[in-house]
Amino acid sequence: MSDEIQIDVQDVDGNTAVINLAGDVTTFAEKAINDAYKQVSNNGANNIIFSFRENDYINSAGIAILIGVVTEARKKNQRLIMAMPSSHFQKIFRMVGLTQYADIYGDLDEALSHAQI
Amino acid sequence: MTSPHASRVVELKIPSELGYEKIAREAVATVARRYGFTDERIADIKLAVSEACTNAICYGSKGDTNTRIVVVLRADDEKLDIMIKDPGYGGAPPGEVKEPNIHKMVKGEARYGGMGLYIIQELMDEAEFLPTEEGNGNQFHMVIYRMTNEESGADNHQGGNTP
Repeated sequence: MSDEIQIDVQDVDGNTAVINLAGDVTTFAEKAINDAYKQVSNNGANNIIFSFRENDYINSAGIAILIGVVTEARKKNQRLIMAMPSSHFQKIFRMVGLTQYADIYGDLDEALSHAQI
Repeated sequence: MTSPHASRVVELKIPSELGYEKIAREAVATVARRYGFTDERIADIKLAVSEACTNAICYGSKGDTNTRIVVVLRADDEKLDIMIKDPGYGGAPPGEVKEPNIHKMVKGEARYGGMGLYIIQELMDEAEFLPTEEGNGNQFHMVIYRMTNEESGADNHQGGNTP
């Protein structure tokens, strides 16, 4: 089931990295998301953007994975940013309180412009 | 399809194994789309059904892949009524749903999780465990109306969908 998510990592400028997610953010995505986060973290990124697509899907297990990433990022003083065009995602993130730990923007360009300030 | 639609009942049996809840969520979404639910409502329904089925798989049948989760969906022009049944191997369902405390999770004082029922309650207009006629197993019942109170101008149902 892990093939239900595709992830690629993009190094923007050494300090900022984008983790592009496409598909289902569920329990089956845990290893792929954690591996991607470790990769950009080990490469020295301090601004880490998770970029979602409009039609992606997330459930509470997926949210729990992101909370785990938030926990690690706080230990390393990294800034987490979520680029998500889906109003549904934004609603769910507000509902569980993730917006208190990650900045939310409607698209990647906006997220990148704020990451590099 | 044009409105009004006749009421319809759809029944599904899925293996009690994580991943199969996707079949239930997509089936319910397909019916919701036929009945004219908005994309936002359909996204809410998909998440709620997925969470309820996941609970039934992980707790209600304790991951026994030989069991089946039953999803009964009743649809009409006004609402979707969804019942999810499991064998109840995990004992009585929780009586109280707590708001998740992300601050404790981030501090390592609470496990990452325990959010499913809370999310369901926030998204659906009605959500509750019901006693079974046979006295065993769990039945989780959810209702979502096609239109929110704001859209219908009525005050005939509760909750749900505060952006």
